[in-house]
Amino acid sequence: MCGIVGYVGRREAAPLIVEGLKKLEYRGYDSFGVATIGKSLELDKHKGRISENARSAIRLKGKIGIGHTRWATHGIPNDVNAHPHLDCSGKIAVVHNGIIENYAELKRQLKASGHTFSSDTDTEVVVHLIEEEYGTKKDLLLAVQTVVPKLEGSYALLVIADKEEQMIVARNASPLVIGIGDGEIFAASDMTPILEHTERAMFLEDGDVAAISRGEVTIFNKGTVVKRPLELIDWSLEDVKKGGFAHYMLKEIYEQPQAFYNTIRAVNPETVSEFVRHPTSITVVACGSSYHAGLIFKYLLEESCRVPVRLEFASEFKYYPPPIEGLVIGITQSGETADTLTALKQAKTHNCKTLAITNILGSSVSRLADATIFMRAGPEISVAATKSFIAQLAVLMQIVNNISGTKCNDMLLHAHQAIEEILLIDLADAVTVCTSAKDIFYVGRGPFYAVALEGALKMKEISYIHAEGYAAGELKHGPFALLSSETPVIALCTPGDTYGVMISNIKEMKARGAPVIAIGGEGDSELLDIVDIFIPIPKTTPFVQVLTSLVVLQLLAYHTAVALGRDVDKPRNLAKSVTVE
Amino acid sequence: MECVVLAAGEGKRMRPLTAKRPKVMLPLANRPMMEHLVLAARDAGIADFVFVVGYGEREIRKYFGNGSEWGIHISYAAQRHQYGTADAVRSARDLVTGPFLLMNGDMILKTGDIANLCNQQAPCMGISTTDHPGDYGVVLEREGFVTSLEEKSKQPKSNLINAGAYLFTQEIFDLIDQVHPSPRGELELTDALAGLIAEKMLKAYHLSYWLDVGHPWDMLDANTTLMGSLDAKNAGTVEEGVFIQGSVDIGKGSVIKSGTYIEGPCVIGKNCRIGPHAYIRGASSIGDDCHIGHCSEIKNSIIMNGTKIPHFNYIGDSVIGSGCNFGAGTKLANLRHDHQNVKVCGKDTRRKKFGAVIGDDVSFGINCSINVGSMIGSGAQFAPNSSIEGCIGDKATIR
Repeated sequence: MCGIVGYVGRREAAPLIVEGLKKLEYRGYDSFGVATIGKSLELDKHKGRISENARSAIRLKGKIGIGHTRWATHGIPNDVNAHPHLDCSGKIAVVHNGIIENYAELKRQLKASGHTFSSDTDTEVVVHLIEEEYGTKKDLLLAVQTVVPKLEGSYALLVIADKEEQMIVARNASPLVIGIGDGEIFAASDMTPILEHTERAMFLEDGDVAAISRGEVTIFNKGTVVKRPLELIDWSLEDVKKGGFAHYMLKEIYEQPQAFYNTIRAVNPETVSEFVRHPTSITVVACGSSYHAGLIFKYLLEESCRVPVRLEFASEFKYYPPPIEGLVIGITQSGETADTLTALKQAKTHNCKTLAITNILGSSVSRLADATIFMRAGPEISVAATKSFIAQLAVLMQIVNNISGTKCNDMLLHAHQAIEEILLIDLADAVTVCTSAKDIFYVGRGPFYAVALEGALKMKEISYIHAEGYAAGELKHGPFALLSSETPVIALCTPGDTYGVMISNIKEMKARGAPVIAIGGEGDSELLDIVDIFIPIPKTTPFVQVLTSLVVLQLLAYHTAVALGRDVDKPRNLAKSVTVE
Repeated sequence: MECVVLAAGEGKRMRPLTAKRPKVMLPLANRPMMEHLVLAARDAGIADFVFVVGYGEREIRKYFGNGSEWGIHISYAAQRHQYGTADAVRSARDLVTGPFLLMNGDMILKTGDIANLCNQQAPCMGISTTDHPGDYGVVLEREGFVTSLEEKSKQPKSNLINAGAYLFTQEIFDLIDQVHPSPRGELELTDALAGLIAEKMLKAYHLSYWLDVGHPWDMLDANTTLMGSLDAKNAGTVEEGVFIQGSVDIGKGSVIKSGTYIEGPCVIGKNCRIGPHAYIRGASSIGDDCHIGHCSEIKNSIIMNGTKIPHFNYIGDSVIGSGCNFGAGTKLANLRHDHQNVKVCGKDTRRKKFGAVIGDDVSFGINCSINVGSMIGSGAQFAPNSSIEGCIGDKATIR
């Protein structure tokens, strides 16, 4: 996820683009850049946030320009990898949001035909491809139209060139909006930079290429002119950032299918270092939700690879005496979690190989660890982790596959569809029970114990209801004393190894008068008969059931918190990334 | 000559009437306020307009389009957030090429004054007199030049004020670039003029006529004034047994039913049903698609589109938004027993007679009584027999 803005009009472009990029910072903020067409092509790009460092970008001259604020996916955040990218001659500039999947192959071909690459990005191939075509065709629109079919993956592209009084834009599977102003036209990732200037917008569709001049937009799809309806936008700035959802958390819950799929696709054997493949033992260090992801990993890896996995809270790791051996994996969404960084440093002093799993390219953890695998969740704004958690599971699942030597199977490639379906589930009855509770217990067995822990964490984080996750068998060893008709229990009772014993556990809890909300396989009439509220999820493989039941618990926590009027995105006392020990 | 009209503000002082439209689109004599100004400018020979729009811009763009219906050319500049008058002028940069006239869209001027202002030496400010200068920028003038300009002064030094009409050259854009945000964080046009005033380079032109609508109740005087020059016209149907006196303009598709008594001046919009037995008097204007029914009396009021006042109602000296519905027998008071000036939400209307300001889509049950000086927010709903007074918020439900 990155943010892009383009402008063609009657005013100086650079100040407008800089202002627009500031509004898009929520889509990415590790580096930024602006290019304009003044007397010649002018460029200014830097590592860092545009809101802190835009002075030189604002001074670029010209009434046509493009800009980009980056969320790194290919190449660490630095000045060179920042967009816009230029061709060899420095006459064409491109900004890009999305991922060019076949860039490696295109890059080899372009290098062979003499192009010089300056960055590690996937984007740079686009501008060199355009250079090739522009050189022979002398028509920027035609050049872009010729290049676009060669690109695989997702892109919203803005292209400008020296001496051209137009901007060419193209879209495939990445958002791109065109704002129609008065004697000026904008193009951007979403309405946030445009709202200030106009309420009239056109939304491009996949495969569209448009030529934008000062007063006119001409849209082509597969070479023929098409019309896209002009819409009047009533949203406020915050509305747009939330993409029409009431909260960032809900938006991020709904982005999970994409986050999971992108991550599964991005983590392949080439990106997993050799030393990760044959560990003698593994220690996972993590905090919060990441710890729960580690717990699921422990169940899955030990079962399929017979490699022992030790799981520790990063904050407690330093109190364990050596020896520490084998591979140490640190999981942190932000890449800045202080405890996880300390734990990895400690592992390094014991000569362990370290692997980091994070959402942020170029974050501290990626500089510290011997190898890093990036999830592809995109920026997560809500404090409660949702899509980054799902993306962590995708990374961990691919590590399991790598160690066990199995290929990424159909189950993983289609898991996002199961997540997508479960998003539509109706939880109204369960929410009513939860909103009136003071304490809620979550129980499960095997990997569903980890799901129970994560579900309880979501509930307490955002609804402020006291919630605890237990391994279902452990309940009898103490917590049973707390059960009453006032303490709802959420039981994860999906088909599989743990089903039979979970049923008996649920019956025991019912006997103590606790209301039971059960998540189980569709059409399970036995379960339906004994519980108070039954939430059916599709019967699939255990791993996919882990994903879908997690999403159910996220939604349950979300709707309960909303019903209680909580500040869902910014729960009291909590911070998104914990950078102190 | 080109003309820039500033029409981007909501006009917060006109709330709740601005819920669906910006201030400049409020109707006077059944035309948007700004249309009167634009027509006067057109008749003064101006053909090219730039409207700076923002709040409710859709309404303005839809109504005026490219201006061809008025024989003028209109281009638009958007100021979607209000960062002050200087910022509004700046948004029209490059859309005007030479010297240009700049006018606030929420006032009424006469054609002759506009023509004369265009013939002055730029930069020039139109000035006028008023009996409450403290609400405006107070001007001191010597030998035809503005020598002092003081905003909203508590002790105004004169009764001369900045009318909000100027003749500028392109130089004004450079002056605006040098303006720093004011204490309230806006770029003020008057700050851009400070240098010119200090160097005695800003000319002053006395306008012979100037009408400004600051508050909802000011609309009634403006309405009366503008209807003074009304021509009688009938594009609708007037049944037998209707009595009409004075100049009355009846729109296309409207039907005036038998027994109705109308004392002009009065404007009735398109597709209205008036009567039977309605009584309309005292410079009232009634929008399109309204219904004034049996035994309802309207006096010196502005009624906007789609409002229904159907049975046994009295409305006097009031401004009523669009889409309202008055239950049978609901009436409104317009005079205090102590004959003091009517106050609305604590503000003196400087009028002995004033009824109420009522927003859009307000519904009254039967037999409600609305006290003098009430202000009722848009979308409010009242149960039958409600006794209503004071300030009622938007979307309030009163039982």
